[in-house]
Amino acid sequence: MRRAAGVLWAMLLSGPAAAARQSVIHPAGEDAALVAGLFWWLLGGAVLLWLLMNGLFLYLTRLNPVPLSRRLAEMLIIGGGVLLPTVVLAVLLGVTLQKIPMHMRPGDGLRVHVTGEEWWWRVEYWPEGADAPIVSANEIRLPAGQRTDVTLGSARVIHSFWIPALGGKLDMFPGRETRMSLLPQIPGTYRGQCAEFCGLSHALMAFEAVVMEPADFQAWLTAQAAPALPPADARAARGRAVFFAEGCGGCHAIRGTAATAGAGPDLTHLGSRTTLASATLPMTEAALAEWIADPESAKPGALMPGYGHLSGAELGDLAHYLKGLR
Amino acid sequence: MRQVILTLAALAVLGAVAGAATIGLGLFNVSARIDHLPPVHWALHTTFEQNVRLRAPDPAAVPATLEDPGMIRLGAGHYDSACRFCHAAPGEAQSATVRAMNPVPPHITEAAAKWQPHHLHWIIDNGVKMSGMPHWPSRARDDDVWAVVAFLAQVPGMTAQDYDGLLPRVADRPAGLAYCATCHGADGRGGGNPHVPRLDIQGAPYLEAALEAYRQGRRDSGIMHHAARAVEPALLPGLAAHFASRDPGAAPAPAPPGPPGTEACRACHGPWPEPRNPLFPELAGQHAAYTATQLRLWRDGLRAASTPQEALMKKAAHALEDADIDAIAAWYAALPAAPDG
Repeated sequence: MRRAAGVLWAMLLSGPAAAARQSVIHPAGEDAALVAGLFWWLLGGAVLLWLLMNGLFLYLTRLNPVPLSRRLAEMLIIGGGVLLPTVVLAVLLGVTLQKIPMHMRPGDGLRVHVTGEEWWWRVEYWPEGADAPIVSANEIRLPAGQRTDVTLGSARVIHSFWIPALGGKLDMFPGRETRMSLLPQIPGTYRGQCAEFCGLSHALMAFEAVVMEPADFQAWLTAQAAPALPPADARAARGRAVFFAEGCGGCHAIRGTAATAGAGPDLTHLGSRTTLASATLPMTEAALAEWIADPESAKPGALMPGYGHLSGAELGDLAHYLKGLR
Repeated sequence: MRQVILTLAALAVLGAVAGAATIGLGLFNVSARIDHLPPVHWALHTTFEQNVRLRAPDPAAVPATLEDPGMIRLGAGHYDSACRFCHAAPGEAQSATVRAMNPVPPHITEAAAKWQPHHLHWIIDNGVKMSGMPHWPSRARDDDVWAVVAFLAQVPGMTAQDYDGLLPRVADRPAGLAYCATCHGADGRGGGNPHVPRLDIQGAPYLEAALEAYRQGRRDSGIMHHAARAVEPALLPGLAAHFASRDPGAAPAPAPPGPPGTEACRACHGPWPEPRNPLFPELAGQHAAYTATQLRLWRDGLRAASTPQEALMKKAAHALEDADIDAIAAWYAALPAAPDG
């Protein structure tokens, strides 16, 4: 039931109403516009060629079916069958070869390093000159109007990083770094998705990409760099005690506390993210509690163990504390 | 042709009637006083011996720890509690009652001299049908059988004095302690035996939960499943409290945080700067051999979760390499025990 709800939610996110959020033909950045431009030009050219070929075919077989002179026939075969494709393909090759390096033009300073995990995204922001990254997960925020370097890696299997509305896709390999850069132009929330089959929950390995005005982005990044907020109320304090008593800190970091582990997503500002479990569930206390009790019902094969043995009150307190980590 | 078929049918009916009468009327005498006829005895015993030779594990599977003094002591402790009644101890005669069994269980000195270690493993693990020899009480685990094999391998030439030297005897206060102390020692340190877990470092809630899980067979160990049922259930909490209150010789201050990557262990098993669920066992100071064995059981899926907290270990250990396990076990063994509370 919970899994069905999660899938339904994911479908709603990617349904027709939200099509523009994850669409190659609704570019919201320079790189995606380049891809979309190529697509439209190629589509137009293909339609034109199709019309020409079928028009010629119709003319020669139905409208004017007379024998051609040997000379004209040879011209058609050599010109249309050899010369024309050679010229068209050579031009296309030249144009695209020249555009390929554009997806890795150097950025304006900020670098975002994304690591594909099973099945979530480890995200590190490296502002220009930084010694250590600002760590987050399962959500990528980018400043509009600036080119950001994106470096990609993977923990164990091959994934592929793709935000259709912002740029092309690029594979993520274990033990090897690949790089691209993105220049988003229209602030808004877009959706990214792993584009290389990577295991049981590949289809549920998504994320939201939020494009912000540069000033908003700076404010957000500064907030992300700060340590976690202390519990705001007694219930959150009880939730914090559950977090530390039950071993959650064995995998998760909450900066500013004793929890510094890096096996699972960093939770320092979990409550400020728009989705839970890499865009599989909404970021609500109820969804958090359900996720912690049984992660595999929302995400088959998830490496996080279930804590269904905690009482409803403990799960609720824990979810309340985590949601408060804004 | 017709006559042959009728004769065969009549014989079949007669045979069925005779068989049904033997079973239904109790005609076959199962009295243990009556020996098998010599050919029957030969057939049964030869079947048993050939069976052991056919099915015993590869001699290469015999672990290198077979001559470990700790393995021998652990095996002796279990033997004394579970096996001695029938097979007696070195230098001790079998009781008249046991000698009246049919077949008569072999004396320990005789059995140990007859079989190789891999044969003994099969016999102890599987038992022998229709002979009174039970199978190992744990279903998933057969690794702890090797402790008993290690002891049996030392039996040839062992005197009654040697045997008693393997088994520490202490006063039975609280009730049941003398029994537990055979392997664990009165102080819960088991005389430093690396194959017997230290109990002095644990808290009472964990020990109580573990004993109850062993008693019910939810936690797998042929040795502890037997041991936890050999003591009155009502005595278990008192024994848990006794071992929990032993002084583990703790460091005055909490141990410093471990190297990066140990958080995954420390968040539940310490050292950890925040209060932890008391159902998580302490590992600081635990013997490396014991910790490594348990981690391998978790990783290989051979240890079933007996509590919800234990279920967490399945995912925690599933990807560990042998080198990781040995490093973690050695690191924990070198840590001073955690201060109480």
